Amino acid sequence: MKKIVWGLIGLSFALMVGCSSQGGQAGGQAGQAEGKKYPEKEITLVVPYAPGGASDSTARIIAKNMEEKLKVPIVTVNKTGGTGGVGMSFVQSSPNDGYTFGYVPVEMTMHKALGLSELEPSKFDLLGQATMIPAAITVPADAPYNTIEEFVEYAKQNQGKIKVGNSGVGSIWHIASTAFANKANVQFTDIPFDGAAPAVTALMGNHVDAVAVSLGEVKSGVESKKLKVLAVMSAERDKNFPDIPTLKEKGFDVEVVGWGGFVLPKGTSAEFKKVLADALKEAVESEDFKKFASERGMSAVYKSPDDFTTFATQQFKFFSDFIPTLDLK
Amino acid sequence: MEALGQLIGGFETAFTWWNLLYCLIGVTVGMLVGVLPGLGPTTGTALLIPMTFGMEPVSAIIMLSGIYYGSMYGGTITSVLINTPGEAASVITCLDGHPLAKQGRAGVALGVAGIGSFIGGTISIIGLAFIGPALAELALKFGPPEFFALMIFGLIMVIGLMGRSLIRGLIAAFLGLILSLIGMDPVSGAVRFTFGEAHLMNGLDLVTVAMGLFGLSEILYGMENLQKLDKPAKVKGLLPRKEEWRPTLNAIGRGTGLGFFVGLIPGSNSVIPAILSYTLEKRIAKDPSRFGKGAIEGVAGPETANNSYCGAALIPLFTLGIPSSPTIAIILGAFIMHGLTPGPTLFQNNPDFVWAIIASMFIGNLILLIMNLPMAGMWAKIAAVPPKLLYPLILIISIIGAYTVSNSLWDVGVMFVFGIAGYIMKKLDIPMAPIVLTFVLSKLMENSLLQSIKMLDGNVLHLFARPISGTLLVLSLIVLFFSVLAEVKKKKAGFAGDVEM
Repeated sequence: MKKIVWGLIGLSFALMVGCSSQGGQAGGQAGQAEGKKYPEKEITLVVPYAPGGASDSTARIIAKNMEEKLKVPIVTVNKTGGTGGVGMSFVQSSPNDGYTFGYVPVEMTMHKALGLSELEPSKFDLLGQATMIPAAITVPADAPYNTIEEFVEYAKQNQGKIKVGNSGVGSIWHIASTAFANKANVQFTDIPFDGAAPAVTALMGNHVDAVAVSLGEVKSGVESKKLKVLAVMSAERDKNFPDIPTLKEKGFDVEVVGWGGFVLPKGTSAEFKKVLADALKEAVESEDFKKFASERGMSAVYKSPDDFTTFATQQFKFFSDFIPTLDLK
Repeated sequence: MEALGQLIGGFETAFTWWNLLYCLIGVTVGMLVGVLPGLGPTTGTALLIPMTFGMEPVSAIIMLSGIYYGSMYGGTITSVLINTPGEAASVITCLDGHPLAKQGRAGVALGVAGIGSFIGGTISIIGLAFIGPALAELALKFGPPEFFALMIFGLIMVIGLMGRSLIRGLIAAFLGLILSLIGMDPVSGAVRFTFGEAHLMNGLDLVTVAMGLFGLSEILYGMENLQKLDKPAKVKGLLPRKEEWRPTLNAIGRGTGLGFFVGLIPGSNSVIPAILSYTLEKRIAKDPSRFGKGAIEGVAGPETANNSYCGAALIPLFTLGIPSSPTIAIILGAFIMHGLTPGPTLFQNNPDFVWAIIASMFIGNLILLIMNLPMAGMWAKIAAVPPKLLYPLILIISIIGAYTVSNSLWDVGVMFVFGIAGYIMKKLDIPMAPIVLTFVLSKLMENSLLQSIKMLDGNVLHLFARPISGTLLVLSLIVLFFSVLAEVKKKKAGFAGDVEM
């Protein structure tokens, strides 16, 4: 009996080793598929974050809409870990046969500057952007300042005393508050939380003085009149909050937005890329995705492979220049 | 009394055919999610959200919340039967649940857990319905300093769980502490102890670690003695013995209170009330040495607490729009997707909706109790399967479960490493409970300590100046003092080399 059980354990180890060697067979398969109909089988979509978050639900809804156009199932798998690095690296090293693609958040362009991984836009074929969500300076509703100017004035008189909750060191919303502080010439005390939601909770309980997280995350707090948004950090005013000014119109030249898009392993054939990009465009511009995005405080923004590549390259350059100037480590 | 009328209205909605069906589907899926190690309530709800897109909002939320509280029932089953926690909150249940199963009392352990879960769940829903909004405001007072103080209190209580030898217990606690340090430092973002492995950047997963330490090591250890093993004990009854009823019900009562209290605190998770309840039961028990060997209160208390936690944790969501745990964040997402805004306006703008959900939770808990009591007997028979058939089966379930944690073989490997470590520790008589307990607590504690230090401008003494954190810290000091005192007394009394705890 002992032998059988040990045999089983041995077998499972062998299976593990066998499976893990499959990841390496990347590249070179695109050519073989030419002349065949694409897609002819299910496609895998890799999401680098845990199920249920904003990234995951965005990716899943897009996948559902793309399925209808492509007429094949899209299977969403979550590969978490390494602040998105595990999932994104998985896509990077997947075969470029058009049957694996991945969701990427703005962090893809920040990883290298943060020293988290060697990932950067040039390591992928970019497929298109789907969402955009601006950072917003939010304070408790009963705070003694009602405009962004008053807030900056108050912060100048209380240098280092304003406590700003962020969603983790080096996260996009941490970069947002630091970028704002730099432009406004003020100093904040950053308090990191494990994600934006606990930071917003701490703001509601008056344990911190402000947050610079996305509009979506403070939406319910604002609607329940516990919080107020002083400014958004996008180029234009947000459709969901048309009364709230942008930092740019108030003379602070800083723009930090979160975004989500899709990528393919490098070297995927142009033909496959076009099929997927067309399906993605249709999915992002569909009414139900627009509705979903707006309810979550995001905007549905489609960018074509070329535009997205240009945009992501710019973002990569911005973060690569900006992050080293921050005292993050 | 107005609330009562509205609740009755809610029952009318919840009792429609479709909603009853969705409630049943939700709690059944929840049970399954709880039973399968690795597949937790967070993943379970997330995977089902896309299915709810076409549904009525009420039905959708009824189903999703069913998964959420249903999983707390299911997690118990694997903990008791095969010493492998189905989800994080059931990690504690392994400690006494499995020893009970080994004595042929798996039915009792599952039965008591079912009853406790029902009582805890139901009372916390009553709390949600009638005093929720008032409590939610109170919950906001719990900032990082208060949370840190609570974790200190929890850790001090863990000292009571050290097992037979204080030294070995401390070694175990220390191991848990070291394991919790793996991953990214929450404040500076510095990467620690990952040896360049991207999978370790977010730290180790509690369920994977516990599956290895408890479940796999059990198989390895058991295989050694496969020839010598006695015939599996016959499964007897679902209900505790006469003299056990009173302590069990008391433990259920205390578990309800603890779970409810912790549920209100944003940033907590369902493991914390289970830990607190277990340590509390052990501390106040007349004969603490029974714990870890099959004390019925050690199952009843924590199992009640995690279900009571579930109902209470919805209070900040319903009244303030605050998701206090990852699973609730997903339910929040579902609310938003269905066009509802949780928060103070929810009760005003959508009273029919809220009360229907609350009513469905009463029904769901009842369904679960009905499902669980007879099924407990059925499940319990698994414990009577000969190990040579059971072990390979557990191994397969565990491998699949570990794989589902993040769809990667990495976690399977981690489970095997901890399985072997657990086996060695069993040989050395090092208790495994302190490892997982300090692992959970210190992770949260480090986070809230670093946040507190920054909030309080570096002056840790300010922790004592805040009413809630001050009280908790003083309480911790008192408990610590009496623990040490009791220890010294025992040492004087007995001349044994090992300190009995």
